[in-house]
Amino acid sequence: MRKHKSDRIIGALTVILLGMGLIVIYAIGPMRANVMNATYGTDYSDNYFFFRQLFSVVLSLAVIVLAFRVPYRIVRKFGKLFLVLGLLLCALLAVLSWMNSPLVSCQLGACRWFDLGGMLSLQPAEILKLGLVLYLAGFLAEKRKNGMLDSIVDFWLPFGIACGLSLVFVIVIQKDLGTGTTLIAIIMAMLFMSGVSLKKYLVVCVLILIAGAIAILGSPYRRERLLTFSSDESSDSYHIENAMIAIGTGGFLGVGIGNSVQATGYLPESINDSVFAVMGETFGFVGLVAIIASFTLLLMRLLRTANYLHDDEESLVVIGVFAWAAAHVIVNIAAMTSLIPLTGITLPLLSYGGTSMLFMAAALGLALQLSCYTSREPRKEQPRVSRKAVENASPRRRQLRRNV
Amino acid sequence: MLNRNKVLRVGLLLVMAVIVTRLFFIQIVEHDEWLAKAAAQQTLQSTIVAKRGEIYMMDGDEPAPVVMNATVYTVIVDPMLANREEIETQLNQILGERRMAEWDEVFADKTRRYYIVAKNLPRAQAEQIAKGELEGVWLQGNTERVYPEGDLGAKVLGFVNADGVGQYGVEGSLNERLAGKDGLLRTVKDINNVALSIGEGNIKTPAVDGENIVLTIDKTMQHNIERLIQEQTGKVGFSHISALVMDPRDGRILAMADTPSYDPGDFGNVESAEVYINHVIEDPYEPASVCKTFTFAAGLEYGVLTPESTYVNQGVTYVDNWPIKNAAQNPGLLGTTTIQTALNWSLNTGSTQALRWLGGSEVEINAQGRERLYEYFHNHFGLGQETGIELYEATGTVMEPNAEVYGIDSTYANMTFGQNMQVTMLQTAAGFASVVNGGQYFAPTIIAGKMENGEFVKAEQREAVREAVRPETSATMREMLYNTRRTWRGNGTDPAGYYVGGKTGTAQVIRNGAYVLDETVATYVGFGGTEGELPEYVIMVRVWEDGKKAEGDTHAVVVFNALKGYVQDRLRVRPAATE
Repeated sequence: MRKHKSDRIIGALTVILLGMGLIVIYAIGPMRANVMNATYGTDYSDNYFFFRQLFSVVLSLAVIVLAFRVPYRIVRKFGKLFLVLGLLLCALLAVLSWMNSPLVSCQLGACRWFDLGGMLSLQPAEILKLGLVLYLAGFLAEKRKNGMLDSIVDFWLPFGIACGLSLVFVIVIQKDLGTGTTLIAIIMAMLFMSGVSLKKYLVVCVLILIAGAIAILGSPYRRERLLTFSSDESSDSYHIENAMIAIGTGGFLGVGIGNSVQATGYLPESINDSVFAVMGETFGFVGLVAIIASFTLLLMRLLRTANYLHDDEESLVVIGVFAWAAAHVIVNIAAMTSLIPLTGITLPLLSYGGTSMLFMAAALGLALQLSCYTSREPRKEQPRVSRKAVENASPRRRQLRRNV
Repeated sequence: MLNRNKVLRVGLLLVMAVIVTRLFFIQIVEHDEWLAKAAAQQTLQSTIVAKRGEIYMMDGDEPAPVVMNATVYTVIVDPMLANREEIETQLNQILGERRMAEWDEVFADKTRRYYIVAKNLPRAQAEQIAKGELEGVWLQGNTERVYPEGDLGAKVLGFVNADGVGQYGVEGSLNERLAGKDGLLRTVKDINNVALSIGEGNIKTPAVDGENIVLTIDKTMQHNIERLIQEQTGKVGFSHISALVMDPRDGRILAMADTPSYDPGDFGNVESAEVYINHVIEDPYEPASVCKTFTFAAGLEYGVLTPESTYVNQGVTYVDNWPIKNAAQNPGLLGTTTIQTALNWSLNTGSTQALRWLGGSEVEINAQGRERLYEYFHNHFGLGQETGIELYEATGTVMEPNAEVYGIDSTYANMTFGQNMQVTMLQTAAGFASVVNGGQYFAPTIIAGKMENGEFVKAEQREAVREAVRPETSATMREMLYNTRRTWRGNGTDPAGYYVGGKTGTAQVIRNGAYVLDETVATYVGFGGTEGELPEYVIMVRVWEDGKKAEGDTHAVVVFNALKGYVQDRLRVRPAATE
């Protein structure tokens, strides 16, 4: 496909949302600094969080440009590498945390970050997300093309190992249900769009539900998670209650920028995971609907892009990016509005901070690049290619396909 | 064929629709509920305590503080945290005599985490302790009234109880003015209870500090009057003496003393609450013969008598078949007697005769006489009425002239010499002042003004409430009272060039509804000033003790004389130039 201009709407919405997050952090950063200083005796200046966010946003824009410019055919080569690197880093994290290394940052027994000193921290699960999207896109597209989607040995086994390993690291070892949910969303969305048979897909869904049930009942920590959803005792329900108070007090039009009271310490994680609630208080129903509409439009454009990309692998990459962003948006907002239990993941582009914003930016930058290669016509939902059909095809054609 | 991309699109839109619906409920439908929940946790409400006003007395022309506020400290030890040796040496050194707990006791039970070792510690020592940063020792500050002049004017000042409410005296009667009005702070707060300026519902009503009240009391005079009456209790041999000094020209109270008294800084340390009562204003009694002043003044006003009018004194006269006797029974006084003589010798028959004359009769007491006496006693001189002073005062009782009671005539006959009525010393002195000051009744006052930002803001100039008697009547009465004082023991005590007049009173005391024989209350009320000019002071004293007979002409006059000499000097009353 000939290269054309990228999807302007995806680019514009990305920049708008980043800017909006910056405004909110500017308004509540001083409150956050004040609360931290008063509670923990730290010495953050009023604009500390704003400048850090500004730095993150600038860096994210640079990453978007980079991901937009570096051709996908080069990027795709790193898919497996990212996945392996992500898994290795997760393993290293587990080992280091077992050794109580100061390089690992743990909270409530869950170790999810490398603490590299100063301002640097790294969440290996983010690398894992990117790696999984790139690897699965290539893997699924290849198996589909080769008609191997029904093969246990050639398809389901390696697929199960790659995905299972990732999920075990994130959910069982790091106890990060939020990221785990995102990984599951990415895997299931890409698997769904890979063209695997609906029957098999449903079997996978059932297996995941069973695994989930076992995981929840087998871990007191996760059982509590589920129970707190209906209990009033724990810190999680305090968190949700205060998120709801923030959103509820916002009313129709909100209290206005800088007037959020919940951000003055009542609402935990006000600048990161709870930024949606602060926005609800600040901008009201109108503001939140605008934000949700922005995200929805962005996500719909990603789906559209995937739908107009005739190359299976490219289309699947965009689906992965879609699932990644959608999972973050939905899980975060649904938790803030008490629709699901709190899992603690960021709101893409708006939440304060670090690794998550950079990797999301990279993913969107890549999707933006791929949006330059869409056709005028949507993909045709082609019947699944059977192995026989592939074998009947000429070797020459197969060769050509590979070299696209 | 299922369009899987479409499935995702529709799914996404459905989820988002659910979220927006949820938001609609939270933000629009349940908005008020969440506002209430937010207010419940975000509201900071606190009282801004108003500073209680200080009280001043006059020190010459300048107000001087006599009741002030100070922060004093309670020292508390937690024996569990405290290091005994360290604390013992340090606190012994700083507290000295003020330590009120034995260390053995303090450390006897370590589970008792709270032990008060000193109270009412001044700031300087508290700061010393704070500097030591001793573990297990802390200080609790509270505002207290302090009295730089000790027990000076306790009866006038009153005190502030442990709840911060003024009791008795100025503290009690002017509690609201002194207390001011506490302010209110209601504001949004952050999680650490720090007030925020966010939002529009914040209220900050500043506290209105109490008024700093300046009393008309002359500090030095008050001090000396208190000292003098204390001395006099020993000299005349009676436990109770009350004294009042006022300026007859405008009703200002210059001194008001009552012994025994108490220390307002240690008000709990008294034998009985009786000692808080200010007998000058709160305890109506019968001032007795000083009231002849009022009877004869009324007679002069109605033109029914002059100092030279005569009647026949038989030593006793009968009203309702009830004998009214004179105290003075020397035979030389019997027979035709002038009113001046009746006043000089305090003849009850004379004042009773005046009452008959007020009714236009020589022999009987009638309604007109009673009405005229009541008109002057009650309405002109203010007896049996609150004076309006800014203190708690008793009303007293003066029976109405046509009250349907048995023996109203005899009651009125007794009233002509100040019995069968209950009035306060202040009512009597204020009425007396109106008789001698040219005829103007001034409501007595104890407020000279207030201090605002360190500046003395004087109260408005006092105006007379009414004309009590005509100037001529007043002049005649001054002369009569001057003569009375000269005749009766006054002679020789008043130096030339001064003009001092006064009247004694010795009252029988009613106990359980009947007059008792073993107790009398002595009163003296007098005025003084430069000869030929209007009086500059009125002094009233009252002397008594349960079960003892105090005589106006032997005990009260002595106290009066002692006070008069001092007051005259303090006010720098100059003798008239001798030609």
